[in-house]
Amino acid sequence: MDFESPDVMKDFPGLYASDVHKAKSNDIEYGEDAEKVTKKDILIGKRKEKKDKKDKERGYAALEGESSAEESYEVSPSKSKKSKSFKFPTKSKEKREKSRDKEKEVTEKKKDKDKRVDKKIEKDKCKVEKKEKKVKSEDWCDIAEVLPIFGVNLKLAIEHGRCHDGIDLPVPVRACIDYVEDYGLTFENVYKISAPKSKVIHIKKLYNQREHVNLVDYDVPTATSLLKMFLRDLPEPVFTSELLIRFEEAGAILNVALREKHLKILVGNLPQHNRLLLSWIITHFYNVTLNEKYNKMNAQNLALCMSSTLQTSHRLLTALLCHCPALFPDTVLERYIYPLTSSSQLPDDPELMEQELQKQESLLTQIHSEMNVGFISKQREELLWEVQRIITQLKRKLKTANKDREQLFEKIDEQQNEEIVENTQITQPSPTASYEPETTPVQISENVEETKSVENVTASETIIVPETNVSDSPNLAVLHKQVIKEAEPEEVEFVESESREFKNALEILQIRNGFLSELRDSFIKQIEEDRAEIAVLKNQLTQRDWTPVYGDANCASLDEIMDLLQKENQILQIKKINLVRQIMEQQEACIDLKTKIDAYSKHNLFA
Amino acid sequence: MSKKPVTQPALHKVIMVGSGGVGKSALTLQFMYDEFVEDYEPTKADSYRKKILLDGEEVQIDILDTAGQEDYAAIRDNYFRSGEGFLCIFSITEDESFQATQDFREQILRVKNDENIPFLLVGNKCDLEERRKVSYQEASDRAKQWGVTYVETSAKTREHVDKVFFDLMREIRARKMEENKTNNGRGKDKNKRKKLKCVIL
Ligand SMILES: Nc1nc2c(ncn2[C@@H]2O[C@H](COP(=O)(O)OP(=O)(O)O)[C@@H](O)[C@H]2O)c(=O)[nH]1
Ligand SMILES: [Mg+2]
Repeated sequence: MDFESPDVMKDFPGLYASDVHKAKSNDIEYGEDAEKVTKKDILIGKRKEKKDKKDKERGYAALEGESSAEESYEVSPSKSKKSKSFKFPTKSKEKREKSRDKEKEVTEKKKDKDKRVDKKIEKDKCKVEKKEKKVKSEDWCDIAEVLPIFGVNLKLAIEHGRCHDGIDLPVPVRACIDYVEDYGLTFENVYKISAPKSKVIHIKKLYNQREHVNLVDYDVPTATSLLKMFLRDLPEPVFTSELLIRFEEAGAILNVALREKHLKILVGNLPQHNRLLLSWIITHFYNVTLNEKYNKMNAQNLALCMSSTLQTSHRLLTALLCHCPALFPDTVLERYIYPLTSSSQLPDDPELMEQELQKQESLLTQIHSEMNVGFISKQREELLWEVQRIITQLKRKLKTANKDREQLFEKIDEQQNEEIVENTQITQPSPTASYEPETTPVQISENVEETKSVENVTASETIIVPETNVSDSPNLAVLHKQVIKEAEPEEVEFVESESREFKNALEILQIRNGFLSELRDSFIKQIEEDRAEIAVLKNQLTQRDWTPVYGDANCASLDEIMDLLQKENQILQIKKINLVRQIMEQQEACIDLKTKIDAYSKHNLFA
Repeated sequence: MSKKPVTQPALHKVIMVGSGGVGKSALTLQFMYDEFVEDYEPTKADSYRKKILLDGEEVQIDILDTAGQEDYAAIRDNYFRSGEGFLCIFSITEDESFQATQDFREQILRVKNDENIPFLLVGNKCDLEERRKVSYQEASDRAKQWGVTYVETSAKTREHVDKVFFDLMREIRARKMEENKTNNGRGKDKNKRKKLKCVIL
């Protein structure tokens, strides 16, 4: 670790190649997406013509590099196809020409340099030529084509348009939500009014090309249309093709509580990225509907606007909006703050510095990976050095702040110790206490938690203390009830001695245990019965000769019927699972109630 | 698009290369902040900027202090590609680090594809004369073979620290002026445009 070996290439010859490879695998993934769009346009003849033209325009040096690259693509037929689809996508003519210009410039420069190259290093050049060529073929790529943010699957979109604050959503999504949350919540008919398509496409391009976009320069309809475009461009619905039917099913459940429960389960089943995106979109839309008074968009209206974009029914969307607080209770639409640039002031707070450092390092990784697929320009190199410089500055600043921070921590530790001592004093019932009554419960409840976690003995003390004090303050009485509720879901009399408490809990558990084993026994019995039935049915099946019922019907109608039946079966299956779940839940509720009843009756006997 | 104002001082980009522990960071920090750190902390990559007077002209220097080896060769190439001049450092107390300079030179030439790239061979830790393993002759022979200058430095005593940075910047500046001349001729640009037009026709 200390003494780094300099000749990486010798030691790990695969390392370099694997990087190039990695870049290619990205291309391929995109290639698949691009194929959809370009298949029509790229006829083989057309493609060849373009290629010839391109080759002619190039200097010989580039031609050499290019041809070798083509050869390597031709090795596998599937690969070459894909690489072509990414090389000649539907680009505007003007842009194509621009990139050609660029390439020409490079070749020109390289030629110049070649002249100066001495014979002495000719050998060295030969040694590395192969690798050099690989890099060349990918130099000066159009990042919008190789690593686009729009129109690729969600995982790639997040990777390509990474937010560096650790929240894995694509940058345009964050930007749109931030903007609409700031300026659009009171905008009449927000999400209903859309912006001119050309404008939205322009911004999409800017994002794909990693140009800086500031949505503040535009308006609310542009932001909403951009978000819609991102969602519409996703190859797969946010709900995933797999779960979409089940979401629709759940959204159609009439019983509100049940619907919520099922939607919750389904949300939990979503892949992490999809869940996050859905939680943000729905929470954001929910915020929009909260401002219905101003924007005239209630859940119904908004759902109508967005259902086609999200490839769902508007019923499901309305349901999600209604259940939003329950489905996504922890979602906070945190504003995305871009990594700092060198013109801005670095933070002074060590914690903020640490955060910023993480952001900058994430950005640096991104820049490197984009460079490795050939997104190289003067500006990009400037950015690379700038980010590196900010990281260095932050590290230095952190280092010097470290000593101060250590001292600070020591101080805080001392203060905390003092506070704990003070707090325990506060909880002692003292009629002469000088604090205000409103603040009392808060302080005490905090204190209960604190001391509870520190030491059990003190916890029981603090709980009991207010009990003796109930008559003194109504606030404390309320608090007392709360404490008991939290500590003991059963409304059993609170027992002072610890052993009594344990006995109580033990009793309840024993009762519960009894009911549960009863339930288990009944299940086992049922399973045995079902098994027996399966055996019987199997027997019948083997004895009978299987003759198709629709032997005479034609194949098409048979297929249709099959399809229909399969779909029906699917739905029935879902319904069945739902019902089974319901039964289980109700059985559990029954046991809970029975346990309570038993516990009560026992205590009444004792009393 | 956003062209920098003309008043912006020239910016020269320098990259420190060499094995781990030879004193790349120590030289950089000595040059930047006049400080010397005794304890060794492996670098990942650090970048610094400083305004200085180079022969009466105000310029900016960007210094990239690298690790002896990046985690990935491709990452290292991203840096090397953007460097305009290189300080290739070894420790005169460690022969291995001197041998390694050969590899660094090759890597740089491969990425820059330019044998005249501004480049200095630097033998650091010359304050540790009693522990010298690489003779002055041996090192300057290699420098001559490469067609570059050899300088011995000490990040500890600050000997020749400014010199290596300033000498390298002068080389970079001269190089840029040369490039400007050829570019200002604009002959090539015109040719290029004509060629393009022909193709379009
Ligand atoms: N005596 C002496 N020690 C040095 C000199 N330069 C660096 N060092 C020490 O060598 C070690 C490695 O230095 P460092 O700059 O971190 O090496 P790097 O890995 O090339 O960046 C540190 O302990 C430095 O204090 C020097 O010129 N003289
Ligand atoms: Mg270092």
